[in-house]
Amino acid sequence: MYVNRTDKPSPKDEITFSLPQIVKFKLENGLQVLSIRKNKLPIIRLNLVVNAGSKFDPENKKGLANLFAMAVDEGAGNYSALELSEEFNFLGSNFGVNANHDRIHLSLQSLTENFDRSLELFGMIIMQPQFNEDDFLRQQRKILTHLLQLKDEPDEIADNIFSFNVMGKSNYYAFPTNGYENDIKNISVEDMINHYRKFFAPDNSTLIVVGNLEKNELAEKLNSVFSKWRTKSVTHKLSLEIKNNQRQIFLADKKDSVQSEIRMGHLSSPRNQKEYFKKVLLNTILGGPFTSRINLNLREKKGYTYGASSSFGYFEKSGFFYVSTSVGIENTSNAVKEILYELENIRLGITEQELEFAKSYLIRQFPSNFETYSQVASNLTSLTIFSLPDNYFDTYIENVKSVTLEDIKQTAIENIFPDKATIVIVGDKEKLIPQLRKEALDDFILADYAGNPILP
Amino acid sequence: MDLLNINYEKYKLQNGLEVILYQDSSLPVVAANIWYKVGSANEKRGKTGIAHLFEHMMFQGSVNVPKEKHFKYIQEAGGSLNGSTSLDRTNYFEKVPSNFLELILWLESDRMGFFIPALSQEKLSNQIDVVKNERLERYDNQPYGLAWEILISNLYPNDHPYSWSTIGSIEDITSFTLEDVSSFFEKYYSPSNASLVIAGDFDKAQAKDLAAKYFNDIPGKNHIANNNSGEGKLTENKFIVHKDNVQLERIYLAWHTAKAYSADDSSLEILADVLTGSKNARLYKDIVFENEIAQDITAYQFSGKLAGSFIIIATAKPGVKLGEVKEKIFAELKNIAVNGAAEKELRRSKNGIKSSFIYSMQNIDSLADQLNSYNFYLGEPSSFNFDLSRYENVQSENIKSVVEKYLTKPYVELHVVPQSTE
Repeated sequence: MYVNRTDKPSPKDEITFSLPQIVKFKLENGLQVLSIRKNKLPIIRLNLVVNAGSKFDPENKKGLANLFAMAVDEGAGNYSALELSEEFNFLGSNFGVNANHDRIHLSLQSLTENFDRSLELFGMIIMQPQFNEDDFLRQQRKILTHLLQLKDEPDEIADNIFSFNVMGKSNYYAFPTNGYENDIKNISVEDMINHYRKFFAPDNSTLIVVGNLEKNELAEKLNSVFSKWRTKSVTHKLSLEIKNNQRQIFLADKKDSVQSEIRMGHLSSPRNQKEYFKKVLLNTILGGPFTSRINLNLREKKGYTYGASSSFGYFEKSGFFYVSTSVGIENTSNAVKEILYELENIRLGITEQELEFAKSYLIRQFPSNFETYSQVASNLTSLTIFSLPDNYFDTYIENVKSVTLEDIKQTAIENIFPDKATIVIVGDKEKLIPQLRKEALDDFILADYAGNPILP
Repeated sequence: MDLLNINYEKYKLQNGLEVILYQDSSLPVVAANIWYKVGSANEKRGKTGIAHLFEHMMFQGSVNVPKEKHFKYIQEAGGSLNGSTSLDRTNYFEKVPSNFLELILWLESDRMGFFIPALSQEKLSNQIDVVKNERLERYDNQPYGLAWEILISNLYPNDHPYSWSTIGSIEDITSFTLEDVSSFFEKYYSPSNASLVIAGDFDKAQAKDLAAKYFNDIPGKNHIANNNSGEGKLTENKFIVHKDNVQLERIYLAWHTAKAYSADDSSLEILADVLTGSKNARLYKDIVFENEIAQDITAYQFSGKLAGSFIIIATAKPGVKLGEVKEKIFAELKNIAVNGAAEKELRRSKNGIKSSFIYSMQNIDSLADQLNSYNFYLGEPSSFNFDLSRYENVQSENIKSVVEKYLTKPYVELHVVPQSTE
């Protein structure tokens, strides 16, 4: 049989995908619940999102929220840290907690058959954490050792230097959530208890649920566990003022490294609804998927790297743009120049085909964003953190479709600033300095691993 | 468990390609997943890394697919794709909206049957650079990044194919020619050395037609059976110290154990979990939680088609001597060799494994890969229940006996220490 292989097969019809229904309700104690019913497997996924992230870390106690997240499940109710962990393990349930700048996320994944008991334990951690001195001190020593280990990680160092300088040094988004060694030593178990009293309350949290439970049954189960949770949070006003920088180049020395980590970028607008989709499409062309311009140039054309990408990242109240890659150290300045070229070039506009590709990529990928229980939960989490409208997912595809070629050009001009980019390079300075000197990149500042200039 | 009983259909095309179909219409997406029965274990010293470099070349286009278009076509369809190389096999996979099934079968068949004429030195030189950077990023520039290679090259004899890493040495990667790539293709890539899983939302009759349409005219080849190098043996303990740019000392211990899916394989996995898999696991609790002489500890059974090994890795807290950590590890192994594991500990591990089986079924692409994996190792794609029973059947006696049988034998001990340490 003759097979025509020369023409790319194309489907005749489009698929239909019906979005799962978002159910929104409040528990008796006022806790907001966002839920999507999913029946594929007997799994239930829960996320409690508490507005208690490291943006609230006080001066000289940077790292508090993260240490809180490490300590909150070290014993709760009548269970010691070990007993609590054993209970979850026996149920085959996964409990996790982590902090970022904006929120503390407590998550639970369990089989439906073990959900009731898992939920009880989950509630215990939220309502009756023990914060024993011994447990706290152990976790404090653990993070101190971890900070020491992070000095080995060039990618972590590059990220920290970049964020510190782009997010405005003294600003609450500028500090790493992990905090600083000296600050962590200032934190006590009382700080944990205070953080808990200030922030852990139904009026300061949202509960996300994904699983095979219908609304009434779910509400009943949740009420029976959380109805006793009646605390009120203390309001906290934070002020944020970040200015865009001029071009600055930071070089941090990592002796004997064979690659350099490169970060380039600047401040960008927060996740504003209107501009958001234009920025997503722009980045899809510039540096998002494998076939975007930056990766094709640096990897598939030049062979400088295993991968290079760009993205618009978002905090609740701010945003940034950055390019990230690691390259063989001898190609560092070449790679920086190529990235700068791509950032300049995208400001000149894109082609119709590129826009069509980007739209097709985002629209057709949409159903896959709802595949796993944790994906669905994290979609719901974004709705709450960024205060997105209830119909966000219903209008997603329309919003992508409506972006024009002219929009993208404007968006690039208004959102990509190669001449104002902060450039961070982490690598062996002996190999890097001669290279940077040769190029127009010799106005670099030597920086320490936190991003502060090293004075000569 | 009913849930784990996968209802699939398996058949073979004339050219030897195995096709496995599994339908699940919970989302309008479909996944294709191909395993070629070739991995770094088919390489020779001096040519290490060719299987992995070859995997990269498979994304560089084929007769009807220009460079960069393989990725482009799939991403344009909203799909995701990748490939990976391990000791025993190389896999290629993609997931697309269900109406794009034909596209991915066309792409996979084009590179399976019409790969060689599209090769060029330019593409090869480019991917050699990319893979060199991959190696730098994942091994050479990573803290402790060379430990794995040091460990396995000491555990296995120099000519054993498990004695080198899948990425290969930088000298070998740099040396590959177009001739190396073509002859690798001729030797290992054809429908008769592969199996294709199609999983997700599709019409069965249509999928069969498409598989026939695109793969039938690719001829099968006579592939030489996998080399069988035996399981490797150490006659005495080996001790290596390696200096690295790290803050903390780390100890690695490695023993020869059992092959994948052999009788002792699952007992060794449960043993690893009992030792370090949770907060209450014996070694974790002792040296990380209670005594805090280590920042972390992990143990695992690492097994393939030819051989297996048991690995324990622990990072010492600042100021702690690795000898102290080692002593604790051996004391606990000795304890288990005599007393076995408690029923409660086994139950904890088994419950965790059972849940993780169900959690792992959320992604259609990982499910597709698992079907190929079971088919490759066991000849039966739907082996979830069998696999689960391997763990369920592990008793305290088995735990005792695997410690006695394998972990009292000679081992490799590697210390990675900071540069400044004398």
